[in-house]
Order: sequence, then structure tokens, then C-alpha cells
Amino acid sequence: MRLLDDRKIICCVGSGGVGKTTTSAALALRAAMDGKKALVLTIDPARRLANSLGLKELGNEETRIDPTHFAEAKLRPRGEMWAMMLNLKGSWDELVRKNARSPGQAEAILGNKLYQTLSTAMAGSLEYIAMEKVYELYASGRYDVVVLDTPPTSNALDFLHAPDRILGVLDNNAMRIVLGPMLKAGKVGFRLLAAPSSLVLRTLARFTGSDFLRDLATFMMAFEGMYEGFKDRAGKVKAALSSPQTGFVLVTSPNPLITQEALFFHRALEHDGIRTAAVVVNRVQRDPRRHGGPDNVRAIEEALQLAQIKADKQLAERLCETLTEQAILADLDRREIDRLRDTLRGVPLVTVPRLRKDVHDLAGLWQIDEYLGD
Amino acid sequence: MPALLDRRLVVVTGKGGTGKSTISAAVALAAARRGKRVLVCEVVAKERVADFFGRPPSGTQIRELVPNLYSVHVRPREAMREYALMILRYETLYRLAFENAAARYFLAAAPSLAEIVMLGKVFWHAARETERGRPRWDMVVLDAPATGHGLTFLTVPEVFLRLVSEGPLARDMRSMQMLLGDPANCSVCVVTLPEEMPANEAIELDRSLRQHQFPAGPLFLNATFASRFTPPEVAAVTRGGPLLAAVGEAADTHESRASLSRQYEAVLRDTVPRELVKIPFLFERSFGAQAIEKVSRAIESVL
Repeated sequence: MRLLDDRKIICCVGSGGVGKTTTSAALALRAAMDGKKALVLTIDPARRLANSLGLKELGNEETRIDPTHFAEAKLRPRGEMWAMMLNLKGSWDELVRKNARSPGQAEAILGNKLYQTLSTAMAGSLEYIAMEKVYELYASGRYDVVVLDTPPTSNALDFLHAPDRILGVLDNNAMRIVLGPMLKAGKVGFRLLAAPSSLVLRTLARFTGSDFLRDLATFMMAFEGMYEGFKDRAGKVKAALSSPQTGFVLVTSPNPLITQEALFFHRALEHDGIRTAAVVVNRVQRDPRRHGGPDNVRAIEEALQLAQIKADKQLAERLCETLTEQAILADLDRREIDRLRDTLRGVPLVTVPRLRKDVHDLAGLWQIDEYLGD
Repeated sequence: MPALLDRRLVVVTGKGGTGKSTISAAVALAAARRGKRVLVCEVVAKERVADFFGRPPSGTQIRELVPNLYSVHVRPREAMREYALMILRYETLYRLAFENAAARYFLAAAPSLAEIVMLGKVFWHAARETERGRPRWDMVVLDAPATGHGLTFLTVPEVFLRLVSEGPLARDMRSMQMLLGDPANCSVCVVTLPEEMPANEAIELDRSLRQHQFPAGPLFLNATFASRFTPPEVAAVTRGGPLLAAVGEAADTHESRASLSRQYEAVLRDTVPRELVKIPFLFERSFGAQAIEKVSRAIESVL
């Protein structure tokens, strides 16, 4: 897409199952064909991108798509296409090591029970690390463009607000309010004080038990002094993502439930001062009626006779039924796309028809590019 | 092993966009038709099931959609509040402990607390009894979040119990974990589509679900196409000139989708050791009660 030409970061956002991964890969492929060094970063634990690219394994390392894959697809890229799958735990560990003031501090954090949950299971953790990684790749200057296939977040806000949420957890000041009494009491063997100031703590402990609070306090102490580094970094990530160098592409399908979610995403972006750069509607049913021709059983029968096709009586009926079904699907899709266009006035919108086969190689991706056009 | 109909808790999982809500509603409807009292719990951001039946959203209040079929939207904030009140009993204590900056911090730091209280709420519904000691619901259907996230959701008790071993939450999570692992009372179903990515994800999801020893319910293969034309018929019609271009394209498209359906059905039968239930693609101008009714008829066989 031409309008994405001058972007350094492209974020493909949208609900799960709408072809985000394929669209991301197709955009990176286009950039590579145009002579750029492009990287597509996928986070999906289901390893979809590896699948889409016909790669068997895609590690946590930046991997160049083998030129032989291009040759097989009869493509001659003037640039390079790279791909990478984000490893959640590995990327968090890396981030901690980089920000720690000493190797000892890093080890203390990495070994903490709560950290292990934070880095793998906490809501927003994946989204946070994805943004962090995309920024790192962008800032490294190694690529002309980095395309991010965002995690299949159930809603837009979870994605956009992940950094705030994670930073909230790491915030030392907030920590002091909650755990102050506990920190004063010392690391191990602290007792919840009977003073009124710790009523909050005592109440919370009724839910989680005091073990958890102790783990939290230990974690916070280990993290001491690192928060500023994280916050500073998150500020830069946010600035880069909302700069004109970044383009957000909304990926959707014509399913009404999915477009609702896409519109919600659009509004959430707008609320954060980010303009949607483009909308891609995947898997659109083509309307067979665009060819004209007969559309009732009787007329189809005549057309079959005219073409001298030997047919049993029901062939015309079956054809008519099939035509009607697909016309219904095409009408529904059209209605939904019109609605999307109306609501997103001014945002470029492209439609990609439902393809006859699943896309799982470069040739398939290149076929999509035809529709993404300019 | 009891039939799906006799489980207290039926969990419906799968990739986003495969039709989990539809299947949840259809399972619930089929059960309700047989006289069971059924509650559908929706836990994702947007409620859908009430809308299928042309009813306004239920919100956090349980509402009857059709006879015997009820739905409720479980939201994290409300679930947290209700849950906290259940334990603390006093509104003032709740406000003091939870509605301040410190608690907000704590709530954000506690691992997956939102998921925990939501799952806890679902469990509470499933375990609830009437005054006479009978189960309040014959069946609770949990429309789980999409794959990846869905598995996270179900393994939340396990993760939580690794960190926390005492207190009321831990106690409830332990009961929840027991129910989720009990084949006599619970069934975890998978929904997928005859397409490459959804099928692959269903295979992975099935594997992880079995690894975690969740009782394996059926695999619902949604939106399938049945073959309608022979290859010679398609060939003849598509080559039949401009008058037949429209029907030719329609027939060809139909058969290509039917072939994908066949292909992924075979792959799934080979790799996923669950009962496979095919649900035909529905061509509906609006997806409402009628469509759910059709789907519920298609799945009657496994009930």
C-alpha cells in the first residue's frame, strides 16, 4: 500500500482469526519486493506466521526468509524479508538484564516466583513486550520497516493500555503505599502490623494469604531503582507508536461482530490520538451475479440446454440454490463493508476476496498483495 | 461417561471467530429443550448470546432468554466486587480495602486477578444450590475466551495456586480446579472451522487441554460445506460460456469450500481424539434464534 510507504513501523491490529498474520506478512513482503529491508514480527503462540511463510521453525531470532523460498514462488525481491517470532519469557529476561544495575539484581529478579508469573501469565504482559520489541527493532536501525502482527487481544484497550498496566505494577511509589509497612518490617518473617495503616494489607491478605504479599514485597525490593529505566523506555515506545512514522492498519473480516470490534479499536486509537492509516477487510465473498446471466431454475435449465450440457433435472436447481446462497453472503458482506466505509470516512479501505485456498507460502502472500494494491 | 447433557459445567473453547458463542447458545438451547435449566456465562468483553434470541443484553443480572435458558455476562469489576463482598460482608470494609490507589495497584499486580474472579463467579453459579439443596442449574455453559487466552483462563487456578496456597481465593480456586478436572461433571469442548489456521490451532488446543487433563468433550467443526456437484458437472458448467458464468463460479466456489471441509475434517479426525460433530454452514440474512435452533438440531446427536 502506497500510503504505508514512508512508515517505519506498521502495526496490524484487529480481532483474532481475521487474517492479521497473513496481512502483516503480505505487507512485509511488498516492502521487501520494493527494495526495503523489512521484518515481520509475530507474537502469536500458535506459530501462524511460520505457517504462512512455509517455514518450519521460527525462533526468537531475526531470521531472513531464505531466497530459495522466493525463487520457488518465482519472486525476485529487490530488498530482504525477515521474520521473527516473539518469545515472551526470553524477551522479558533480556529486558530485565539490560535494565538491571548489577548482574546480582538481575538474577534476584529472574529467580523471583512472582516475576515468573508477571513475565508469562499476567494480562498485558505479551502486549507490553511486543511493543517494547518492535521499538527495539525499529531503534536498532537494522530495518527499513518493521511490521507488527499484534497479539490476538480480545479488545483494543487491553492492547493500548498494556504499558500503563505493566508500569503500574512496577511503579515503586505505588509500591511504597501498599507495602510500606511490610518493607519496614524487613524482608523475611514480617508480621502484618496491627496499626490502622495496615488495615488495607490485612484485608487484602484475607484474599490471597500473606505469602503472596510477601512475594510481592520481595519482588518490589529486588526491582528497586529499575522502574525509572522502564518508564523512560515506555515513554519512548509510546512516542514512536503515536508518531507519523507508525501506521496502524485495522484488519477485519466482513463479519458484523468482527467489524464492531474493529470500529471499537478505531475509536480507542483515536482516543489515544492515533489515526488509523488503513483498513483491510479480508475474506470478502465475491458476488457471482456480477457476471449477469440467469438466476432462476427455469432460466438456468435453458442456459444449460443452450450450452448442450447434459444435466439431470436437479442440476439447475442445485446451481440456483448455490447462486442464491452466495448472493446472500455477498449482500451481507457488502452491507457490512458499506457500513464500515461510512463510519470510517476518509480512512482508505481495501477488500481482499476469500481465496480458493489457504495462504501458506510466499506465492499466496503475493497474490494478496494484488488486492492490497495501492 | 455421562452424556454432555448431564454435566454440570460445559466449557466451550476455540479460536476467535469460529463460532464459540453460537455453539454455546446451541448446546444450551438443546439442553433447555430437554427440560434442563441452563445458564450461559459469557466472559468476554462483549455479550452476544442474548442478542441471538432477540433479547436485550442480560448484563450482570441473570435473565431468562427462552424457557429454561438463562444468560449472564460475567465482568471482572463486578465479579471482583461481588466476590469481595461475599468474603468481607461489609460494604465499608470493601470500599476501604479496594477502592483506593493502593488496592488498584495490588489488583493490577496480582496475577490474572480479573480471570480468577470471573472464573470464581462461574464456579459459584455451577456450584450453587437451591434452598432444598438441589443444584440451582442443571447445566452451566461457559463461553470461554479465544484460544491462547482461553487456555490461560482455564489454567488460572493452577497458576494462582502455585503462588498462593491459603485464603478464601485459594480455597475456591482449588474447588474450581477439581470441577474442571472431573469428567463426571465437566466437559471441555473445542470449536473450529474447516480452514488451515483454525484447524491447526484446534489441534494444539486439544493437545494442551489433554495435557492439563481437562475432560475432553466433542470437537465441533463449524461452518462446513457438503459437496453438491461432481467434478464433471463443475467443469461443464464453468466452461459453458458467459450465460453460465455466474452459476459456474458459484458452483466452483462451493466445491472448493466443500473440498476444504473434507480435507480438514480428515486431518482433524486423524489428530484429535475427540468425537467430531459437523455443523453445516448457515446462509442466514440475519443470525438469530432460527439459526441457533438449526445448530442445536445439528448437535443433538452428541448430547
